[in-house]
Amino acid sequence: MTDDISGMTSQLAHDPTSLVFLPLADALRRRGQLEPALAVAIRGVHRYPEIADGHDLLARIHADRGDGDAAFDAWTSVLRLTPDHLGAHKGLAFLAFRAGDLGRSAKHLSRALELAPEDASLAAAVERIRTMIATRAGGAEPAADTPRRSGPVPIPPTATTETTPTLLLDAQGRVLRGRIDRTDGLDASDAVAAALAGVSREAERAANLLGLGHWRAIAMEAGPFNYEIRTPTAETLLLVARGREVPAGRLARIADRAVDQARRWLEELG
Amino acid sequence: MRAIEPWVEGPLKTFMTESAARVCLIMTGAGQVVAQHGFTRSVDVMTAASLGAGIVASTRELATEIRAGSFGAVVHQGSRLGVYLAPFELPAAPWIGLVVFGPDTSLGMVQLFFGRMVDELVRAAPRDEPHRDVLPETFEDELNASLRTLFGR
Amino acid sequence: MISREQAVLDEVTRIGGVRSALLVSSDDGLVVVESALEDQATEAAAAFAARLGGRLATLTSALRAPPMSVLLLQATAGQLFVVVGGPGLLLVAVTSNEVNIGEVRLALLAAAGQLN
Repeated sequence: MTDDISGMTSQLAHDPTSLVFLPLADALRRRGQLEPALAVAIRGVHRYPEIADGHDLLARIHADRGDGDAAFDAWTSVLRLTPDHLGAHKGLAFLAFRAGDLGRSAKHLSRALELAPEDASLAAAVERIRTMIATRAGGAEPAADTPRRSGPVPIPPTATTETTPTLLLDAQGRVLRGRIDRTDGLDASDAVAAALAGVSREAERAANLLGLGHWRAIAMEAGPFNYEIRTPTAETLLLVARGREVPAGRLARIADRAVDQARRWLEELG
Repeated sequence: MRAIEPWVEGPLKTFMTESAARVCLIMTGAGQVVAQHGFTRSVDVMTAASLGAGIVASTRELATEIRAGSFGAVVHQGSRLGVYLAPFELPAAPWIGLVVFGPDTSLGMVQLFFGRMVDELVRAAPRDEPHRDVLPETFEDELNASLRTLFGR
Repeated sequence: MISREQAVLDEVTRIGGVRSALLVSSDDGLVVVESALEDQATEAAAAFAARLGGRLATLTSALRAPPMSVLLLQATAGQLFVVVGGPGLLLVAVTSNEVNIGEVRLALLAAAGQLN
């Protein structure tokens, strides 16, 4: 352990409320010690949830560990605290690019460039993404200013031939998008949203107290149906339901895609 | 929430939030209420505390009589509500917790978080206060002080 | 001599990655029988398994759908399996993320069958 890390570790041990957790976790991350870095950063963010840089650091550690979902959540938290956080826009651009979503990557990179116009590497990245978008669109020149949509992008249909009952709700039990019916065909969306509100908190409590980390998904079998419950963002829940003829593993992948679509839609919503 | 000892407030509040219990009374072994939280208007607090302390004392005597050592918590489960009654040791003296819970939680949750609350109370309890014997001539004063604090009179 | 319930749970914990297997009272959230590694919070696992099961029962009730039979909570550092084990009983397993999900699921369903 270097003197720096050793000194900062001692300082944090002596005073757990110290903000030294920020440089300490970053130093550990840079040395590739991602698990200790993660532990330090998580404790620090829990103590200081209002510090955007804490969430930004946590996002970088998650990204280094290959946990894109957790990195996305953390950078989204950064933007909620500080909408013009340069690091968060760059991070989200990186995640979007890696997921193949060039449009979203370009949007975040463009905002980052507005915040740091002198950054030549950002300018080059924006140009490259726009060229890639144009190439995919069949050679058309990208517009200098990409026109903004007039409203939120609808969640596109899945690749399956059947409609996948999907419900997006907020943490207060209100429907944001989608619909799910009762077995007798009546709309159960509001009742289901109310029933699911609080599931996220219980799942997080259970995962935390059992030493399982942060919860990511709930899969449930109930009679002739399978369900997947996900958390696209810290404040939303997604329910996907299918008949048991769809294997559980396939439903999990369908839910993964639905989460990506929901996140894009929520970003557009602002 | 009402608490005579301020260091009880934090652990009690956490317990109520985590367990989703309806009422919690914390009392001395003699049945004097130290703190209360929850839907306490539905309960005659002083009577409940006295009865709870009496049950704990009776249970302790029963354990002695049958040479069982000691018993832990006592649970009564009704059709709508349940009661969890548990003695615990603090550095200065034994206390008792009386918890009323409904169908929106479970005995397992109450028991789990009650144990955690006791751990926090043991950590938070002051250790350097001299033990105060409740002398007959001060007992009435202490009871009146409890009543004034709890009922705002 | 160990009980039948204990023997059934011990079989589940033989699967690699399973940290604990419990028989839980679904109404109370209390442990009935357990087979667990030393450091496992079995009391908490029992309480939360019952709690989550109850919460999700309101979901199936809202959908007028049959009740839950299997539940899997997946988290960043482990998983919680809950299987209905019979009237008023749940079979619960806490595992690492490296476990064979299919194998644990089948083992718990088999255990439920043996106990019924």
